[in-house]
Amino acid sequence: MTLFSKAALGGAFMLLAWNGTATAQTALNIGCTATTDCASAAVALEEGIFKKNGLEVTMTLIGINSNIPAALLSNSIQIGGPTPSVFLQAVDGGLDLVAVAGASSTSKATFDTAGVVATEASGIKEPKDFVGKKVGAPGIGAFLQVLFSKWLIDNGVDPKSVNFVEVTFPTMNDTLKSGAVDAVVTAEPMMSRIIASKTGAPAGYFLETLPERRPQILYASTREWADANADALKAFRSSIDEAAKIVNENPQKGRTAISSFTKIPMDVLSNMKLSVADPKLETEQLDWWVATMDEQNMLQSKPDTSALIQK
Amino acid sequence: MKRAWWKGLVVPAALIVLAELAMRVQGSTSMSLAAPSDIVAAFFAILFDGSLLLATRDTLVSAGIGLAAGGFIGLALGILFGLVKPLDRLMEVTIEAIRPIPSVAILPIAMLVFGFGYRMEIAIVAFSCLWPVMIMTRSAMAGIEPRLLEVSRALRLSTWDRVHKIVLPAALPRIMVAFRLAASIALVVAVTVEIAANPLGLGYGILVAQQALQPAVMLAYLVWIGIVGYLLNAALSLMQQRLFGRAGRVEAAS
Repeated sequence: MTLFSKAALGGAFMLLAWNGTATAQTALNIGCTATTDCASAAVALEEGIFKKNGLEVTMTLIGINSNIPAALLSNSIQIGGPTPSVFLQAVDGGLDLVAVAGASSTSKATFDTAGVVATEASGIKEPKDFVGKKVGAPGIGAFLQVLFSKWLIDNGVDPKSVNFVEVTFPTMNDTLKSGAVDAVVTAEPMMSRIIASKTGAPAGYFLETLPERRPQILYASTREWADANADALKAFRSSIDEAAKIVNENPQKGRTAISSFTKIPMDVLSNMKLSVADPKLETEQLDWWVATMDEQNMLQSKPDTSALIQK
Repeated sequence: MKRAWWKGLVVPAALIVLAELAMRVQGSTSMSLAAPSDIVAAFFAILFDGSLLLATRDTLVSAGIGLAAGGFIGLALGILFGLVKPLDRLMEVTIEAIRPIPSVAILPIAMLVFGFGYRMEIAIVAFSCLWPVMIMTRSAMAGIEPRLLEVSRALRLSTWDRVHKIVLPAALPRIMVAFRLAASIALVVAVTVEIAANPLGLGYGILVAQQALQPAVMLAYLVWIGIVGYLLNAALSLMQQRLFGRAGRVEAAS
């Protein structure tokens, strides 16, 4: 064998080997918002768990959670992390999405990561004080506002009697300070900063009375993608299972991964509780969300939750 | 002009010093404001790690291609409607019904059709640049000295010759103004689309910095967008003066 043919053979082998790895890796783009709820995906990416399971994963930071269904449908992302309310409203609106795994869920350990903070001048101390007041929320009809409204209903206050306005997280402290709103529905890491700067004081932790293990963020895809990529989905789920354990047992790794995904500085994340990673998703959990949203007239139809979780 | 160039800078400089003092003295904990010196530091940080230039490229490519596409379609339609009056009247209701749609309102549709990326942004920028160019081209055509058109008819010029020998040269200064107007719209729309949905470019840089609680970085992007906009307008205005001489200057002033 001449040197030339040896080189050619070697080259061919290398090409084959390279091709082999390229086909074994399924490319996957995951879209999440800048919260700690997608920590399991961020950890699986950061720790190379996706790669180990044959997935070539990239993560895209999505500005507004309600953009996720459209991003899924246009195949810009294959898996996204919508809140259950965004997910159910998209399904209710006719988009064929399925939940493929759980990302995070409520827990007694993390109820104080979200709450409503009111100024002293507003005189708000308990649920009935919110009547007629102006309350800033990061999104009307979004996760926090829905759960805050549920808290009001459970305490005998009609959320319609509260004047809601949208205020983005980073401007909450300034908006509250200026007196433009009486209270803000907020979450960490903003909440503790607002309280520390004495702009307002906590007036209610509306996650406290919720049952355990209600999903906060779930991983979803289009039904078409989930059906066509059963193997990739299996690899995704086992990666998330493995990563979720790391997030819950070793939050520092979760923080590092979240920081590299969202660019939130480590000094902000370091004294912040991460949402509990909970990869299991059951029909009953979605049913609870459907009931909660029905109570606030947010759904047109009654979604068949058993068909909404990919087998 | 030369001896007083610095006078315009007195007010901005004073405001910047005031902002710096206010932030330092008060010890601000704001998550949406930052001291000017922090903004400058953040600016150089994102400049040297390459993210600023990459984002600028993405935004300018989208805005530029969108402007070119929208401008070309607008120009073609404007000339067509300017030349063929019955067609203009026929299309009036249709155009006037589509034109007022805010460009950002077509975002959800564009996102479903194109997904994230350049194509979605280009489509929306093109949509918003089309209208000012079309309308100003059409009115520029109406403003052409009628005797020029009479001459072209007397000379029995073909339609193509009439357009590129008489109509375009006569209307060009005003069309150039339309392009300048559209260019500023293109940048605004491109950045808006990036903030609202598209994960690339300067707008996305603002969004990420905002959500990452880094107001200094966010404001550095904001200042840079202002500078880019200013430079873009200055370049187009210079081009206009060079190409059209006094005609361009008169139109630009009007």
